[in-house]
Amino acid sequence: MVRLRVPEDFHYYLSRHQDCNERLLARAGSFTPRDLEISTDPDAMRMRKMIYAVTGEVHRMLAFIRLKPLGSQVLYGYLKPRHRIGEHVCDHFARRTPGIIAVLGNGSESWISLCREGRIMRDHGRGIAETLERLRSALGLPEDDPDADNSNMSDLNLDDLWQVYYDSQYCPEKKNLAVFHQRMPRRDQDAAGLRMVQNKKEVTLDDFLGDGRSTEHPLKDP
Amino acid sequence: MVTLDKIAHLAENCRFDSLGPAARANPEKLSLLGEGTRHDVCASTYSPRETPLPGICHSFTQDGRCVSLFKTLYTNHCSHQCNYCTNATNCSHKAKTFSYTPEELASITLSLYRSNYIEGLFLSSGAGRNEDDIMEKMVETARWLRQKHGFRGYIHLKILPGASHDHIQEAMELADRVSINLEASTATHMNEMCATKDYENDILQRQRYIRDMSTAANLPAGQTTQLVVGAGGESDEEIFQRIIYEYKEIGLRRAYYSAFCPQEGTRFEHKEAQPQWREHRLYQIDWLYRVYHFQPLEIRQAFDENGFLHNNDPKMAIAREFMDSPVDPNVATSRELLRVPGIGPRSAQRIVALRQRQKILAKSDLVAAGVRVKRAAPFLKINGWRDSTLEMWSD
Repeated sequence: MVRLRVPEDFHYYLSRHQDCNERLLARAGSFTPRDLEISTDPDAMRMRKMIYAVTGEVHRMLAFIRLKPLGSQVLYGYLKPRHRIGEHVCDHFARRTPGIIAVLGNGSESWISLCREGRIMRDHGRGIAETLERLRSALGLPEDDPDADNSNMSDLNLDDLWQVYYDSQYCPEKKNLAVFHQRMPRRDQDAAGLRMVQNKKEVTLDDFLGDGRSTEHPLKDP
Repeated sequence: MVTLDKIAHLAENCRFDSLGPAARANPEKLSLLGEGTRHDVCASTYSPRETPLPGICHSFTQDGRCVSLFKTLYTNHCSHQCNYCTNATNCSHKAKTFSYTPEELASITLSLYRSNYIEGLFLSSGAGRNEDDIMEKMVETARWLRQKHGFRGYIHLKILPGASHDHIQEAMELADRVSINLEASTATHMNEMCATKDYENDILQRQRYIRDMSTAANLPAGQTTQLVVGAGGESDEEIFQRIIYEYKEIGLRRAYYSAFCPQEGTRFEHKEAQPQWREHRLYQIDWLYRVYHFQPLEIRQAFDENGFLHNNDPKMAIAREFMDSPVDPNVATSRELLRVPGIGPRSAQRIVALRQRQKILAKSDLVAAGVRVKRAAPFLKINGWRDSTLEMWSD
C-alpha cells in the first residue's frame, strides 16, 4: 500500500507554515488527514498545499544541511528556512548523533538541541556565531583556530573528500540537468547554505549564478 | 527550554578524532574506487532497523540520480573476465589498482555520515585474487562500523559471486540490505558476458543461501539484484522472465537495471551502447508487476514479437489491448482503476476515499485526486460519457 501524503500530525506542520494563522488552524480542527488528502474544498486545498510546502522543506533540509564539528561535542550547520521548522530540523540532527549538541542557524537566530537518554533538550539563541562563541566558552574550548576542527584530516578536508567522491558518481551518458535542478531547488540549497556543482575545480562563476538569480535569496525570517 | 550552559554540561565528550588519522584519503583512490560503482544503484536508504524515515537523498549528480550513500568498491583488483568491465583481467586499459583497509573505509564513512553528506555505506568490490578474502574484508568493514563505532546508518553489502555460506551469513547480520548482481538474465547470456562466473552456482545458489537465511531481524531491507541490460544480447522479455522468477522464488525486494555502456579497453568496447530509455521502460514494467500487481500475461502484451519493449509507455500499450470498455470511477474496483493510464496507486486510493462521500461527476474531482486526466480520460466514463478515444492513440 502506497502511503498517502498528508501526515497524521498535519496540524503541527500546518502551524509551522510562514503564512499560517489562528483562523486557519482553527479551521483545520474540523478536518481529518483523509479529508485534506482528497477534498476539493478551497480551504482544504490551501491547507494541503501549505502542509506539503512545510514537509517538503523539512525533508530537503534534512538532506542538504552539512554539519561541521566544533571541538568534540558540537556539530553545527547553516539553516535559514522559509517556514518555522528550525527547532524540528535541529531535533532530527540531535537524535541522529545522541550525546552531541546540534546547532543550526543563521545571522539572526539559532537552534540548539541535545538528545540524551532518549530525551531532547533545547535552547533558542540569537545569531549562530554568538551561540557558538557561548558554547565554546561553556565547554572550555580554546580560542577560534580555523584549522582545529579538521586537525584529523589534514591531507584532504572533508568537503574536498566529498567533492572527489561526488564527482566520481556522475555518469555523463545519463546527463539530465532538468532533473538535477528539480531535485535540488536553488531556494532550498540556499536555505541550507549549500551549493552543489559537479567538477567544482572547473566551474565558472556562471555555474553559481547561472540562472540569473543572486546568491542572496530574500528569505523571510520566521 | 533549558539553558545553553546546562546543555553544554550534559553533552558527552565524544572523541570525533578517535579514529586517528585514517580519515585521510588518497583522492585518486577515492575517485577510482568511487567510479567503480557509479553504475550501481541502490535507491533507498529506508531501513526498518531504525525509526522509519523516508529515504533521504543528500544530493543529486547532474545526471539526476541521487547520492545518499558512500558507494564504493573495496578494491578494483579483480580476477574475473567480464567483457564489459574495466576491472576485468582481460581489459587492456586498466587503471592502477587500489584497495582500502576496513579501518580506512569505516573512518571515511563515519566522517561523511556525521557531517550529513550520506545516510550510509554501499560497499561493492572486485574479487581480488580470491573472493573469500575480499568478502572477509568487506564484512570486517561493516563490523568496524557497527560494533566498534556503534554506527546506526544504512549498510548495503554486495555479495561477491561464489562467496562462502559463512561470509554471506556474517554480512547479513551486519547489513540492512545485501545483493548479488545477476548481470545477465540466463546462463547462456552470462557466458557471452563473462567466462569466469558460473551463473547457477556462483550467483543463483548464493541468492538462495540469502533467501534461506533471511529472517525479519537480520536483513531489514532484504535482498536485491542488478542486471546489465543489453550486454549479453538478451531481450526484454527474457529479462522479465528472470525477474518474475526472482520475485517469486527468491523473494527479491527489488531489481535494478543498468543500460550497457561500452568502456574503453574492454572486450565489449565496440559493442553498441544501449539507449537510456530501455532502462526506463524496464523499470516501468517492473513497477507494473511489483507495485500495480499486473499479471505477467497482461505485461507480455507490451513486448513485440521479438520480445523487446518499444520506447513508449507499456501501461498505455497494455490498456489499449485489454481495456475494451471504459471504467466508471464511481464503481470500479481498485484493481480496475489501477489499470487506467494516468491513475497510480495513490490516486486510486484517493478515488476510492472520495467516492465514499460524493459521486465523481467531473474531471476536476479526478484532478484533485491526482489523476493525470488527459491520459486517463479515454479509458474513463465520467458522468455517463466517455471522451474521444483518439487521445489514447496519440503518443
